[in-house]
Amino acid sequence: MSKTGFYAERIRPVVVTAVLTAICITLVSAFYLSTQDRVKENEGLVLKRAVLFAAGLNVPATNQGINELYESLVTEDNGVFTVKDTSGKPAAYAFIQTGPGLWGEIGAVIAFDSSLSQFAGVDFISQNETPGLGARITESWFKEQLRGKVPPLKMNPEGTESSAPSEIDAITGASRTSEYALSLFNRAGERAASLKGGN
Amino acid sequence: MNDLMPVAVFFGSIFTSNILLANYLGMCSFLSVSKEIETSAGLGAAVIFVMAVTTALNWLVYNYILLPLGLDYLRFIVFIVVIAGFVQLVEMIIERISEGLYAALGIFLPLITVNCAILGVSLFMVIRNYNFINSFFFGLGSGIGWFLAIMAMAGIRKKIAGSRIPRGLEGAGITLIIAGMMALAFMGFSGMINVT
Amino acid sequence: MAGKALKTFTAPLGKDNPVFVQILGICSTLAVTNNLKNTVVMVLGVMFTTTLSSFTFSLLRKVIPGRIRMIAETLIIATFVIIVDIVLRAFMPEIWQQLGPYVGLIITNCIVMGRMEAFAASNPPGLSLIDGLASGMGYAYVLVIIAFFRELLGSGSVWGFPLLGDWWTNWAIMIMPPGAFFMLAIFIWVVKGRSKE
Repeated sequence: MSKTGFYAERIRPVVVTAVLTAICITLVSAFYLSTQDRVKENEGLVLKRAVLFAAGLNVPATNQGINELYESLVTEDNGVFTVKDTSGKPAAYAFIQTGPGLWGEIGAVIAFDSSLSQFAGVDFISQNETPGLGARITESWFKEQLRGKVPPLKMNPEGTESSAPSEIDAITGASRTSEYALSLFNRAGERAASLKGGN
Repeated sequence: MNDLMPVAVFFGSIFTSNILLANYLGMCSFLSVSKEIETSAGLGAAVIFVMAVTTALNWLVYNYILLPLGLDYLRFIVFIVVIAGFVQLVEMIIERISEGLYAALGIFLPLITVNCAILGVSLFMVIRNYNFINSFFFGLGSGIGWFLAIMAMAGIRKKIAGSRIPRGLEGAGITLIIAGMMALAFMGFSGMINVT
Repeated sequence: MAGKALKTFTAPLGKDNPVFVQILGICSTLAVTNNLKNTVVMVLGVMFTTTLSSFTFSLLRKVIPGRIRMIAETLIIATFVIIVDIVLRAFMPEIWQQLGPYVGLIITNCIVMGRMEAFAASNPPGLSLIDGLASGMGYAYVLVIIAFFRELLGSGSVWGFPLLGDWWTNWAIMIMPPGAFFMLAIFIWVVKGRSKE
């Protein structure tokens, strides 16, 4: 094998691959680093919005509004978010509860009233449920029905509507996801009860 | 942190969340290869093997190399390189140790690198936060699910080969409709396993 | 030259359409079309990737040795896909979460690599750019049409706006996997039935 042949056969492919890889990775890294702050901010915003929504407050439309409202009302201690009312007294407590779902983990911020015995509300922050079926847990009617309910909850049969204080309506066609959501809520209820004991 | 049981993940990925019928992955080779039963069996077997191993490998790479270094945004490149490298390696090993196996599986291996189901399973595993055991069973189960789906399809296509089909539906059209019906049937499995 | 450019541009939109003629890139065609908004974001991502990947690869086609062509193609595609992923994550976090793994799966979308192999490897950058863009558009309009019908029938809405009102019972099947298969099959049937061979 001649010297140029050796170069063309063995060395050049390696060199080209290495250079190309280096360029690609530099490019990607530059992009990543330049958007990193924004990604972090987005993630923070998702959480803040969820806490405010779960506590039953009107969530401002702008990011800045959310940040301001959150700063003025919410304090976090050891994973528990305390949401104060305008007079400064605690009005609701919220925490992140995770549990299994049909396809993967479901994560939600669940809030309780100041006595820790009633649900104040819920907002889902991560879920991989079936689009159009299980994913409807993120629709407002499903989230809103939790407000004011008392744990432990029971599932209402599909297709009927309930206003009993400890029942929630399932999602038609997504009974599995509804059950996972129910057990998520009830686990949050137990955690709230244990917080009450601790206080 | 994850209370999902490996058994549930395993059966779930074979039936209720079949990688092909519920997540649409691996359609390209599915549509083109499912004409013949023998080819389908060969490709299906290769998919099971590669999927189970690469999912486990990618889990290790992701959790022990990419995450600690904060490089998880490079996962697309790294996963595909791991898959391509593994497929190449297996091809070389099979070629050297067993001619029979190479004749049966060898030609399918290059096809696998571009089978989106393999990469898809690795990406799902990251998104769903599976642990190592679950990831392995998820990969294995998804491979078996893919195998089942393509074998069933190949059988059905053989049966209907002589049937009269509207001209516009010949080939891809009718295959998609059958896939749709299979997806409906597989949905019937949901709720079969209780995860508590 | 201009004639060739025009032909390069129109072929993928009609008789060489990547989706319903060549049956490529089916995974995402089925997976993301249950709602129009996600679909539009997805097809923009794919158009961006095919256009720029074809262009870049065509620029480099004489520098890259044949033996590493596949690796080089994968690298180039993956780079653009990661950029799409990062941008979506930063600016449209909700849609990014809903699209899940399918953004990453643009890498294995056969359309992208298929166009690089079949066209960009042997044509100048300008034409490759047109070819990549047209292939992306051929893919895009099919997906948008399918997504329109699936969202309309499955959720009674278009682009998230309820359109059909309360009397409409949603066909849940349309937004689930079987609906995707049936819709694409019907689409292919209609197109093939119209074209006289």
